[in-house]
Amino acid sequence: MMGMVAILHGLALTLYVIAAGVLVRTLAGARPRVPQRGPAVLAAAVLVHGAGLAAYAAEHGELPLVGLAPSLSVSALLIAAFLFAVAFFREARTLGLVLLPLVALLLAVGLALGIRPSGEALAFRGPWLYLHVLLAFTGYAGLAVAFAAGLVYLLQFRELKEKHFGRVFRFFPSLDTLDVVGRRALAIGFTALTLALGLGWAWTIRFRHSFAIGDPEVMWGILTWLTFMGVIAARAGGPARSRRGALASVVGFVVVVLAYVVLRLTAAKGMAFL
Amino acid sequence: MSLIVVGLSHHSAPVGVRERFVFDRESAADALRALTASGAASEAVVLSTCNRTEFYLVDGARGDGREPGGETNGKSATRAVDGLPSGPGRPGGAVDPSDPAPAVQAVLRLFADRAGTSVEQASTYIYSHKGRGAVQHLFRVVTSLDSMILGEAQIQGQVRSAYQDAAALEAEPRVVGPVLSRLFQDALAVGGRVRSETTLGAGAASVPAAAVELARKIFGPLRGRRALVLGAGEMSELALECLAAEGVRSIVVANRTEARARELAGRFGGTAARFDALGTSLAEADIVVTATAAPHPVITRELFARALPRGPKRPLLVVDIAIPRDVEPAVGEVDNVFLYDIDDLRQIVDDNLERRRAEIPVAERIVAEAIDEFWSWYASRDVVPVIRELREAAEALRRSEVEKAMRRLSHLTPDDQALVDRLTKQILNKILHRPTVRLREAASRGTGEAVVHAARYLFELDTVRGATEREEGE
Repeated sequence: MMGMVAILHGLALTLYVIAAGVLVRTLAGARPRVPQRGPAVLAAAVLVHGAGLAAYAAEHGELPLVGLAPSLSVSALLIAAFLFAVAFFREARTLGLVLLPLVALLLAVGLALGIRPSGEALAFRGPWLYLHVLLAFTGYAGLAVAFAAGLVYLLQFRELKEKHFGRVFRFFPSLDTLDVVGRRALAIGFTALTLALGLGWAWTIRFRHSFAIGDPEVMWGILTWLTFMGVIAARAGGPARSRRGALASVVGFVVVVLAYVVLRLTAAKGMAFL
Repeated sequence: MSLIVVGLSHHSAPVGVRERFVFDRESAADALRALTASGAASEAVVLSTCNRTEFYLVDGARGDGREPGGETNGKSATRAVDGLPSGPGRPGGAVDPSDPAPAVQAVLRLFADRAGTSVEQASTYIYSHKGRGAVQHLFRVVTSLDSMILGEAQIQGQVRSAYQDAAALEAEPRVVGPVLSRLFQDALAVGGRVRSETTLGAGAASVPAAAVELARKIFGPLRGRRALVLGAGEMSELALECLAAEGVRSIVVANRTEARARELAGRFGGTAARFDALGTSLAEADIVVTATAAPHPVITRELFARALPRGPKRPLLVVDIAIPRDVEPAVGEVDNVFLYDIDDLRQIVDDNLERRRAEIPVAERIVAEAIDEFWSWYASRDVVPVIRELREAAEALRRSEVEKAMRRLSHLTPDDQALVDRLTKQILNKILHRPTVRLREAASRGTGEAVVHAARYLFELDTVRGATEREEGE
């Protein structure tokens, strides 16, 4: 059964790479139109990936939400699912060019670590914990999508401003579409993360009788939430708010990723951090 | 029976000539009825657009329809005709006014009557293609490979309308039969295939369309956006047409002559603004198009700064299609302002047309595949009756021989008799399989007639109602 989890994850990784390859080939080629098979491959990848995580749950009797490798896999799936939803904005499919490599990277690292339970002894397991973790991952996935939309917005803005009517201009969506995608991803991500933090704190206070502010996970969560606030504030009103928001989304995502790396490297041994 | 196209287009005639050969819906219906009722054509469709008028016909007379079309008769066509300007010359496939095909003669007369000239003079601008050449021509037309603007999308709808109008025409006999029905359905399918599998129609191919393409890259769909148009000349009008077609919510026209601005704005459901109150209109717009004849910039950096002191909150597209330019280049340096002039738009158009041209080989390959497919069906129409007759004759012979044999084998059980019957059927099918395949192959290669003759001779199919019989009858 363990073999099945790895096989399905490997297959999903291959499909993500193929879907990214279709986009790269389209951008590199003369035709700016994304072939129909691109979204179809993405849909297949999401389905296979979901089946891989279902196989994990069946094998281990728990949801793949604890431990670094399973968490990376779930995060990758959520980002891919976001991308799949974004693909309904037909022209926004090309955001996959930024997101699919990220999804593939997360999944590849997860596979390299081995997608299996961490064996960490948690003080509490149950539906509330799973909901907390799932909401938190949704928040991070939302930020990742906002990052992709922001990055492409800045790229397309530059092309338009500097009158470069080349491949990037033709391939990527309009500024307005990118703005809408970024705004919605932030709204979903921020709502999910706020609920996750609320649940987490309620659980911590209930069982540990403290806020556990020193816990790296909690620190990371708060930092991400503050980053969300900063990005949302950057988008609020004033001239050029869309571009400011795009820039803030990119910087915010980078800050959150760097913060994770720093916190993980400095976390005390034995401390459960993803 | 032969496929023929007879017509004229932007390749063979200037607009001053083409407009005299246009058939509106009513006259087209009359022409199609006349062609089929007279027996000159057994099927007919007319395609009449601003760039071409073409009759697609199935000749009522005998013809194998396999002669390659497109050859020119070598005549020059630069002479002037009565009341018609001198033409640029006919393209390959120029019609021969003495072509004996009744369909060609009838269409030439129709054209001459329409333009009020003689057949000889009208034929100066008219070309014809026959057989496979006619199929190729229609498929190239519907895919816009033959269009004035490569990749234009309207032609697909125009071909569809021409076919549907002809098919719906109340006439006895019907003007569209199985051949043109299949031909046009295949043509529309190949048109759709080229559009989905290539980028032949991608990108703007005109300056106003390029402006719209830029606007879409900034705003996405333009529905709900606000536009300000400066100037009330021809270019402003073109820009207004494009913007209105894109569903722009509000249109404001500003012009030195306010009455002209009001008149133009009124035609597009917009409002007029005073030229000296430009700043207010500028601050409210998403898209600004300038096309005045002013000798100096109308929108200066100073005016812009007064109108939008903190810069625009939303992206602002400014398209300056005036010469000399209406907008100071410094305006384009303002954050969130996207300023483009006529050269920028022409660059987009040139790039797009270049990319469209690069797609021609792919589109031609799709067309060639579709021609082969249609021709395979069309050519096999001659051999199908022979194949049927051959099988019927063989089956009659088999049945007679089996009955004779069964009379001598009456001691066999019913199961054994059925087995013998099945066995003879299987042998017969195996024997006839190869000739059937070969007949179909020969038909699709265009050598079906000779093989049909051979089949008739070898299998004594003298009573077959095939191509020979029709040929003799005609």
